[in-house]
Amino acid sequence: METLDIKLPQMGLLYGLCLLPGLLLWLIGLRLSRDIAISILRMSIQLALVGIYLKMLFNLNHPWLNGLWILIMLAVADLSILRRAGLKARYFALATFTAISSSVLFSTAYLVTLVIQPAHFYDARYIVPLAGMILGNCLQGNVIALERFYSALRKNENEYATFLMLGATRWEAVRPYFRDAVKAAINPTIASMATMGLVSLPGMMTGQILGGSEPWLAVKYQIAIMICIFTSTAIASIINLKLSLNIAFNAYDVLKDEVIGKS
Amino acid sequence: MSPLIRFDQVSVTARNKTILSNISFALFPGDKAVLCGKSGSGKSSILRTLLGLYSLKSGTVYFQKIPLSPLSVQTIRSCTAYIGQEPMLGADNVREALLLPFQFKTHREHRPKEAQLIEVLQRLQLPADILNQESRSISGGEKQRIALARGLLLGKKLYLLDEVTSALDAESKQAVFDVFSDPRLTVLSVTHDTDWMARCSIIFELEAGRLAQVKRNGNT
Repeated sequence: METLDIKLPQMGLLYGLCLLPGLLLWLIGLRLSRDIAISILRMSIQLALVGIYLKMLFNLNHPWLNGLWILIMLAVADLSILRRAGLKARYFALATFTAISSSVLFSTAYLVTLVIQPAHFYDARYIVPLAGMILGNCLQGNVIALERFYSALRKNENEYATFLMLGATRWEAVRPYFRDAVKAAINPTIASMATMGLVSLPGMMTGQILGGSEPWLAVKYQIAIMICIFTSTAIASIINLKLSLNIAFNAYDVLKDEVIGKS
Repeated sequence: MSPLIRFDQVSVTARNKTILSNISFALFPGDKAVLCGKSGSGKSSILRTLLGLYSLKSGTVYFQKIPLSPLSVQTIRSCTAYIGQEPMLGADNVREALLLPFQFKTHREHRPKEAQLIEVLQRLQLPADILNQESRSISGGEKQRIALARGLLLGKKLYLLDEVTSALDAESKQAVFDVFSDPRLTVLSVTHDTDWMARCSIIFELEAGRLAQVKRNGNT
């Protein structure tokens, strides 16, 4: 079974669909037409470039090139996590990179080599989209973990100091905020797994079905990717928070002002 | 007898502002000392510096002859009880708040029995049934005394009390003063309360982060 192509005139029709929400937004007084047009244009150009690059990547299917692509994705995700979490990249970039790369590479390698077992473990058709999906979700989780943890510490500075004054070690004093942050990071994935298929059909599964896969095969891939997303998000957020503790606190267990960005 | 704590020409800056300048004093076991001065004169900063919450610009802080350092700070904190003006109980109810420090490794072996909790509450004129009350339902004065009770349960060598009687009525205040007048306890306090100052052996007057005057037993 082959996926039906969307030809250029039909793509034009698709863009035309945006006119309807655009008109409604204009009628209720929201002047967003410029922002919407820029976003649609950016999306189209970015995806076109990714399409060209992926096509090239799939054709060449070279292990180093595939690895380089994943490395670039990790580096971009690293900076994106820190920017969105309000932390300074020059202090935390290495810790976050270590956390996300170890967890994403571990989960992807586990999935590809032990579960899917393609002819070549570096097959771009598998590792690039799978690592990308795992990383994308891991990114969200790490933003939540870091943002939640450091904003809770800033908000509860007196409580944290009280714990220290009552004899807690740094780890004992931060543990309540640490647990809350990890819970917040993995909760969306847990909720998503619990309602998957009931509330919405997952994107990857839909994509595979449209691509011609048997629904049962698509289901198995969806389960595999969700387990890997959950695993990598949990591992990365724990490692990331743990590594960040050595950077964010001074030797007296006081949160360093200079390493935390403006809240 | 060697001093329990000693500040030797200590200066502290925080956020590019000098908050303590060239402070030197010593406190011996059993001493009751008061830090007084205008708001912002550095009273609370002295307590916080001793606990390693501010980095020293110069000088040395000693606790039982051991200089304050990243290696010794945990030991100093575990020998000291700091109670602030608006203490954080850090737990949902009073019993959990009193037992909170005993969850930490350093105090885990010394978890007090119910009778000890009640005894220390009664010394501070708090009823035993307050143990089951929710932390959010208790008054500011009760909160201060619960934090003091928690400090006493830990049996520390040094008590750092930062305006801890500000929300107390006269009777409760006297009970607190009686408890901390115990000659076995060493107390460094921040207060404007003249009754407590009269019970103390040393009064340190601070002005703009400097030690302006030291009075001992009424003598300057």
